Amino acid sequence: MLSDGEAAELLSFLNLETRADLKGQASEYVLGLTGNRDGCRYLQSKPDCLQALVTLTSDPSIAIVKDCFHALINLSADETLHQPLVTETVLLAKLLPKLLDPEYVFADRICTILSNLSRHERTCRDVFRALQEQDIGLDRLVEVFCNQGFNKKASLHYLGPLLSNLTQLPEARLFILDKDRCVIQRLLPYTQYEESSTRRGGVVGTLRNCCFDHAHHEWLLSDAVDIIPYLLLPLAGPEELSEEENEGLPVDLQYLPEDKKREEDPDIRKMLLETLILLTATRLGRQIMKDKNVYYIMREFDRWEKDPYVTSACEKLVQVLIGDEPEEGMENLMEVDIPKDVQEKLIELDAKEQEQMEKDEQEQMEKDEQEQMEKDKQEQLEKDKQESEKNPKQSPEGLER
Amino acid sequence: MAAPAQGEDSDDGMDEFMEKFKAQKYKNAFNESNWEEEFNKVPMFMKTAPENIDPEKNPDLACIQSIIHDDDRTPEEQARGLKDEGNDYFKEKNYKKSVVSYTEGLKKNCMDLELNAILYTNRAAAHFYLGNMRSALNDATAAKKLKPDHVKAIIRGAQCSLELRNYVGVLQWCDEGLKLFPTDKKLLELRATADKLKREADKDSRKAKVKAKKEQNEKKALLAAIKERGIKLLKTELSRHRGSDSEDDDGHGGASRALADLELDGMGSQEATGARVFMDEQGVLHWPVLFLYPEHNQTDFISAFCENSSFMDHLAVMFGEELPPWDTERKYQPQNLQLFFEDPEKGHLYQVDLETSLLNVLQHQRCFLKAGSPSFIVLVSGSLFSKQFLSGKKVKRSK
Repeated sequence: MLSDGEAAELLSFLNLETRADLKGQASEYVLGLTGNRDGCRYLQSKPDCLQALVTLTSDPSIAIVKDCFHALINLSADETLHQPLVTETVLLAKLLPKLLDPEYVFADRICTILSNLSRHERTCRDVFRALQEQDIGLDRLVEVFCNQGFNKKASLHYLGPLLSNLTQLPEARLFILDKDRCVIQRLLPYTQYEESSTRRGGVVGTLRNCCFDHAHHEWLLSDAVDIIPYLLLPLAGPEELSEEENEGLPVDLQYLPEDKKREEDPDIRKMLLETLILLTATRLGRQIMKDKNVYYIMREFDRWEKDPYVTSACEKLVQVLIGDEPEEGMENLMEVDIPKDVQEKLIELDAKEQEQMEKDEQEQMEKDEQEQMEKDKQEQLEKDKQESEKNPKQSPEGLER
Repeated sequence: MAAPAQGEDSDDGMDEFMEKFKAQKYKNAFNESNWEEEFNKVPMFMKTAPENIDPEKNPDLACIQSIIHDDDRTPEEQARGLKDEGNDYFKEKNYKKSVVSYTEGLKKNCMDLELNAILYTNRAAAHFYLGNMRSALNDATAAKKLKPDHVKAIIRGAQCSLELRNYVGVLQWCDEGLKLFPTDKKLLELRATADKLKREADKDSRKAKVKAKKEQNEKKALLAAIKERGIKLLKTELSRHRGSDSEDDDGHGGASRALADLELDGMGSQEATGARVFMDEQGVLHWPVLFLYPEHNQTDFISAFCENSSFMDHLAVMFGEELPPWDTERKYQPQNLQLFFEDPEKGHLYQVDLETSLLNVLQHQRCFLKAGSPSFIVLVSGSLFSKQFLSGKKVKRSK
């Protein structure tokens, strides 16, 4: 990479007081470095440089600010940079206050950096702690997230993944699951937010994480939150159900219009199913899901779904919905002790299932390719046909008037 | 009463004064029989105040009341007094009077924002209990404007919106309030209630749409079936008139209008059944059919005549076992009957082959349906009446 001398020079240019053109070039150069893994690893050992980038986000020149943010986003995407960024720079202290500034033009970029940094547990804790130090409660984050138009220049969609990442921490989940406030309830409608799959995915991820604590299931399933309809709506389609089947469903799922579309992102579909499966851990949860006729929605969904991974999750859910209640002592599936030999067998079965799914996926891809080739062939034939039909008109035998 | 100490001189004449009472009878004492009534008249001991205070009957009370409205006090003091008066009426559930007091208090236009906010909020509450939701909502809004953190006003605003079924409004009030008081139980409860009711209302609206669509499709299918069979519906006077006025082309509006033709005019003045042609699950049409018996001025109405049934099928039953009471000459027997339909344009009569199906007849070139109901004239073959009836008319016999 750079020699020590060059590195020192570079660093000297990355200064607020430096001449604009030198500053600009220096920051551009650093941005270039962050474009690949080696460059990032090099910068990992240069905390002064990282700090300089953070400082320059206050530069009067918008071009430089953009470059610095871009560089920081790239760096934060690399896990090895996480600790240096939070411990060797003032990134969190400096950028967090601007996150919820309704006038700040670069708020979206801060969101992206934070959502990157909060990916893995260790630095996630640092981010969470920093938020608390800045007196930014999770309820405030949710409030801003759910207030469209809060920041006219930033969509803040990446607050979704940030929330999702933060809720991997039990202490963060407590804020979202606060019964004395209206927090999680505000997130629910966003499982159907069409304009951004980032936002949708973030919300669904948050809900899934919150369902890990089965102590909260009763509350989540009750009218106070009523989480089930919001998990089912993205999975429900326009298929007509009989009046009887309709009346047994939750209110929000009754009489859906004929243009109802399902969630288009398979990863999100899978997360929704995982969340529903988590909610079947307790006997109460299973009972409620059976009472709400969740099965009918899953039946139609299973007919529609093509992705093998998602189908697998769907089938797991259906098995619980139509299966018998487990025997005494096993009602809470999360607390059951699994004997070692059974564990091993289950792991084996899982591996086999994984293999099968990969095979299915491969087959599906080949099928799609085949179909596409056929289509292209067909189109080509059509084109050729049209070409040959055009020619007669140009033949010299045409009458001239 | 301590007795005077032995040997002490009490120089204030207290003893003598006290002695006097023992001797004299107290005048103006309460009478044993009516002392409770009298007590009630003394302002301090009144259990309830009279609705209207008449200065003549109750000078003491009127006096006390006027102190409340004493104009020597500052506007703030007067407003405060009126607020208290209003609150008292409110506690007695005399909401109308409390509104008056609060209004008077607001009229003072004092500078105390909080006091005015309270006056508005309390008046909003009074209106709420009187059922004047809009007035209550206006007052709550005014209160909030003066003091944005007045939680009672916000709660009241949400409650009014709930009564007015403006669920989106309730959510707006609650969310504004929850920003300031995130753990307020009443606001959380109102928000949850409104959310639930809103989702119910959304479902009802979806259900209605589905139902309307279904009906629309059924109507379309019915009209298509009729058209497909080549059956001609006559445009009635009303529908012709309407047809020239409306602008929409024969897609949406046309379908419902044509069907309206089937319902308009009723089915004649006697038949108020409102029966209409319908299509069964097998796609077979069933028509409401009128049989007219001009000889006796009688009619028969078949509400659902299957298009594939023949006339004889029905006549055999109608005139089978028992002949109708109006058939005095006992001559309306199935084998003697002749049926005709009238061409409404040209006035010709067309005889109907009794063994043929209704569908066949409806498909006849000169058969037009008036008000969606086929009608047939029934005569007895060879009878005097039939000869008279048919004379002078152009009749096309069946083969």
